[in-house]
Formats: sequence, structure tokens, C-alpha cells
Amino acid sequence: MNDTEQSVVIEAKGLMRQHGQGDAAVQAINGIDLVVKQGEMVALMGPSGSGKSTLMQILGLLDRPTKGSYHLAGKDVSRLTKGESANLRGRRIAFVFQGIHLLPRLSAIRNVELPMVYARFSAEERQKSAQESLARVGLAHLATRRPTQLSGGQAQRIAIARAVAPGPDLLLADEPTGALDRASGRAVLALFQQLNQDLGLTIVIVTHDPLVGRHAKRIVELEDGRIITDRPVDDRILAQNAAEVGA
Amino acid sequence: MNALSIALDSIWTHRLRSALTALGIVIGVFAVVTLTSLGSGVRSYVTNQFKSFGATLVTITPAMPGAAAKRQPGRFQGPPQNVPSTLTLGDTNAILRRHSPAIARVVPVAILPIPVSATPGGSSGLSVLGTDQAYFSAEQLAFSSGKFTGNGIVLGQAAATALFPHVNNPKGRTLYLGKTVLTVSGVLKSTTGLTNSANHTVFVPVATGLKLAGLNNISEIVVQAKSNQSVNQSATTVTQVLDQRHPVHDFAVTKNSQMLTTINNTLSTITVFLSGLAAISLLVGGIGIMNIMLVTVTERFKEIGIRKALGARDGDILIQFLAESVLLALLGGAVGVALSAIASHLIGKIAGFPAGLTLGSVGLATGFSLLVGIVFGVLPALRASRLMPADALRTE
Repeated sequence: MNDTEQSVVIEAKGLMRQHGQGDAAVQAINGIDLVVKQGEMVALMGPSGSGKSTLMQILGLLDRPTKGSYHLAGKDVSRLTKGESANLRGRRIAFVFQGIHLLPRLSAIRNVELPMVYARFSAEERQKSAQESLARVGLAHLATRRPTQLSGGQAQRIAIARAVAPGPDLLLADEPTGALDRASGRAVLALFQQLNQDLGLTIVIVTHDPLVGRHAKRIVELEDGRIITDRPVDDRILAQNAAEVGA
Repeated sequence: MNALSIALDSIWTHRLRSALTALGIVIGVFAVVTLTSLGSGVRSYVTNQFKSFGATLVTITPAMPGAAAKRQPGRFQGPPQNVPSTLTLGDTNAILRRHSPAIARVVPVAILPIPVSATPGGSSGLSVLGTDQAYFSAEQLAFSSGKFTGNGIVLGQAAATALFPHVNNPKGRTLYLGKTVLTVSGVLKSTTGLTNSANHTVFVPVATGLKLAGLNNISEIVVQAKSNQSVNQSATTVTQVLDQRHPVHDFAVTKNSQMLTTINNTLSTITVFLSGLAAISLLVGGIGIMNIMLVTVTERFKEIGIRKALGARDGDILIQFLAESVLLALLGGAVGVALSAIASHLIGKIAGFPAGLTLGSVGLATGFSLLVGIVFGVLPALRASRLMPADALRTE
């Protein structure tokens, strides 16, 4: 892989996030340096309380660091106003959460359209992108279903379709297989790999499941709010995992 | 997909809760609109009644000696109470003898404490009024049969029915006024509105009545001016005549038109006061909306988190929740106005005066609902919009 020619999507330096004040203060993350390039698929791993979810929320502009700098696609985003970060979310950054995070009152396709509504896409653009995106995850036939009429795996794939529909630079997934059975979990992982390969989409997955970790190209491990290891995954293991998913 | 349809969907999802929340506004708007409608209905009714006949009348009533000096001009201060009358038929005649071109009629009125009955020694409880021919013209009372004569009795419609329940036309029948027997000479048509007390009244010639009751004084004198323009001239003339005959000034001259102003002012004050009280229920309704919206926001932390993660700005969330509270308030207001339309129609029908919804009261209700929805919706909506997405998503 020729990293030098790829543009940098995430560039974080000395990120810190403190929860609470005074004696009750807890450093959720404590000095994180991280660079993620275009087209990478990174697993953020670590035990609960290691700060991986906090890091993901800061990377996704859902939360702000107390200290440190964060550049997203070359732009300093560590001190954005709420409105500016809202504009980047949905358009440039997409989320896939643990559990079902579809709005229960909206049909599948309406859910997929939602980020594009907030990003002020035209109705035409919205419908076109939503349909393409549903087709990409193989669920075009379920467009009019309500989330309650979908299985957990289907709902998560709809959520992925929603995430990629506006054409984001970065996809952040927080325990995306955590609430799914093994088969559905594998299908979701395969979908991530496919999106990563076909679209060159940069993906960061937060997980504590080693199996999920092994589907990434790179594993970053956190403990007590710091990165302890950062290593590429062996191509051999990747191939083996691909076979496993395909099976 | 816009704020309005999200709000409608949310209201529809929690139908019962929304209905109960809106109920506060329904009651508040209903009370305010009904009271203002009834108030303006009564006012226009009273005005019309006065305009049709009463405006040209000037009433002379007994008063405490010298009291007129203390009375503020242009203000009606209610009928004098427990003031012994010194007005006589002589006063009536003196006014008549002036032959003032401004005055059309001068009518003596005496309230007579005489029991009246179809049988000797009985009592019907009907009131007996001593007056003369001119009274019926001045008060615009029409006869269904017969007429007022110098020695007969005239019955109001209800009085005729009460005294002679099984008689179609009691004209020519006899009645006992105390121990004296008099013959019915005429019956009035039924009347409504300000003159409806005539229905329950027995009219006798004033001289006869005073003799029967053993009285010398009459209760009041009604003077009818020739036109609206001559009302003031009539009042002046009457005052001049009576001042000569009553140097201690123990009488009061009241123009009905000035009574109308007073009644209208009083009605307006009562309407505003009652509507103000009713508006308090609107306030309570608004607090109900705020309460439920706060609950709704708390319940929907996760939804707010998802929407924010998907790129919703604070403003998008603010509008979404504000739309819901405003819509709730407006729905409540609409139902309140509808109920009020039905109620004021029914009340108007029963009470016999026109009390429809006025455009003003509907506008007022809409404005009030909108205001309540916005004022009491802002706090919950602000709370929702300011939620940090990370915090909102953490709630499961």
C-alpha cells in the first residue's frame, strides 16, 4: 500500500477529553495522536472505559476535546461552533451505532433520506441517493418498511445505507455488530469491507470484539485513554477472514 | 418530513396524551371566547332594545332631598332605594300643562300594593301598576284584544293566563282587587326583552289604583320626548317644572340614553373581568403544554441524538419541538372555538338574544393559542436543541 499518495482524513494531535470537574474529574482520553488516511479501515479496540467511544465522538464532532487539535480532511475542526459541526455531520461524517438507531416512525427510505434533509439536498437528489444506497446494501425491496418490520441485521444495513447515502468522507461505526447475531454481524462486516474497497470509503470501527478487529486493515488499541499499540493487520489474516465471512 | 409533519406524527402517536394536554387550552379558549361572545351579544341586544324605543324616554324618580346636587351628571347611579316618593298626579299634570314642543307623552306610573285575584279574598302574587293610556304607547306595548279604558283592567299575557287559566279571552271577566271588583277591558300581546315584566303585570287606571291602595303618591313619571334630539330639552323642561313644585329637589331625572351608556360600560367591564379570569385557565393550559413537552423532550433524547448525529442543527431541533407545542395549542384553540360557537349559539337561543362568534373573539383565541404555544414551548424546545449529541446518544 502506497500511503504517501493518499490524502489524510483524520489528523489528531494531543487530544484530551475531561469529564466532570475538580476531584470528580476523569480523563476519558488523555493525549491521543492519530492519523488516518483516505481509504483506510481502522479498528479502535480496547476494554470498556478505555476511551474509545469518547474518541469516536470527538472524531465524529459529536463532542469537543478539552485540549488538542483535530483536522478533518485538512480543515481544523477542533474549535467549530455547534452549527458548523452540525453541517459537517451528516454531509462529511457518517455514523453507524450499536443497536438500532433508526427513527421508528419513518420508513426505511425516509430514514436513509434524513441526513440529506438536514444537509439541504434537493428532494430529487435525496430520493436518487437513497435508492442507490439501499440498492448498494441489497435492501432496495425493503424501502417502504418500518424499522419495526425489519430484522436486526436488516435494520443495521439500512443504517449503513443511511450513513453512506450523502457521500461522506469518513464513516464512524460504534460497536456496529454488538447487538447482532453472528451471521448478521458477519454480513455487516462484509458490507463494510465492500464499501471500503468499492468506494474507497475511510472507515473507523470502535469495537471490543477481536473478530471485528481482524476485519480491519489496521488495529489501534487503547487503554486508559491512551494508544498502546497501532499496527497493520497481516494480509494473510485478512484473506482468511474474507473467506470466513464469505462462508 | 418537515417540522410540521414530524409534529403532527408525534401528536398522533400520543393521541390520548396530546388530547389531555390540549384540553387545558380547549377549556381556556372556550371560556374566553364564550364570555366575550356572550358579552358582546348582550351588549348589542341591549343597545338595539334601547334604540328601538327606550332612547327617547326620560324617567323621573324620587330621590333624597338635595341628592341631585351630589349626583354626578351623566352617570346613572341605580334606582333610588327606600326613598319615600313625593311625586303626585299633580306633577304629571303640571308637566303636561307646559305643552312643551319637545315632549310627546307624560305618563304617571304607580306601583300598587294591592292583591289581585279572580276569586274574592285571593292573591295571585301579580304586581299591579297604576298608569294611563299613554303608558302603552310609550313602552310600545300592543293589545291582543280590547283596550285601556278609564275604569277597566288591562292584563299582561302571562298575567291573563295565570288568572284565567282556562279562558281563551278574559276580556269582560271580573277580577278582585282587594275587595273591589273590576272588569277586564283588554289583554296585551306577549312581549320580550326589556319590557317583558309587562307580561306579568296587571294595569289599572292610576287614579282608581291610588284610591284602592289608599296612596297619594305615584312611583315615577315617564316622559317621552318627541325625538332623540329633543331628549335633553325634555329633561330640562321637566326639571324646571318640578323644581318649582319641589323646592327641596327630592326627585331625579334620568335619561334612558344615559342609562344605556352606563349599562354598556358595566357590561364591558364585567366581560373584560370575566375574560381575564378565564384567561387564567389559558395560562394553566399553557403550563400543561410546557410540562408535557418537557417530558416529550426527555423521552426523545435518543431521537434528538440521532437527528443531531445525522446533521440536524440546533435550529432544526428547536423548530421541530416548537412546531409541536404550537400545533398542540392551536388544535386546542380550534376545538375551544368550535365548542364555544355551539355553546354561545345555544345560550343565545335559550336567553333570546343574538350571541354568535365574533371575528374579533376568534382572532383573539387564535392569537392567544399561538402565544401560549410559543411561550410555553420555547423552554422545552431550547432544552432539546441545546442537548449535546454525545449526551443524547448515551441515553438508552
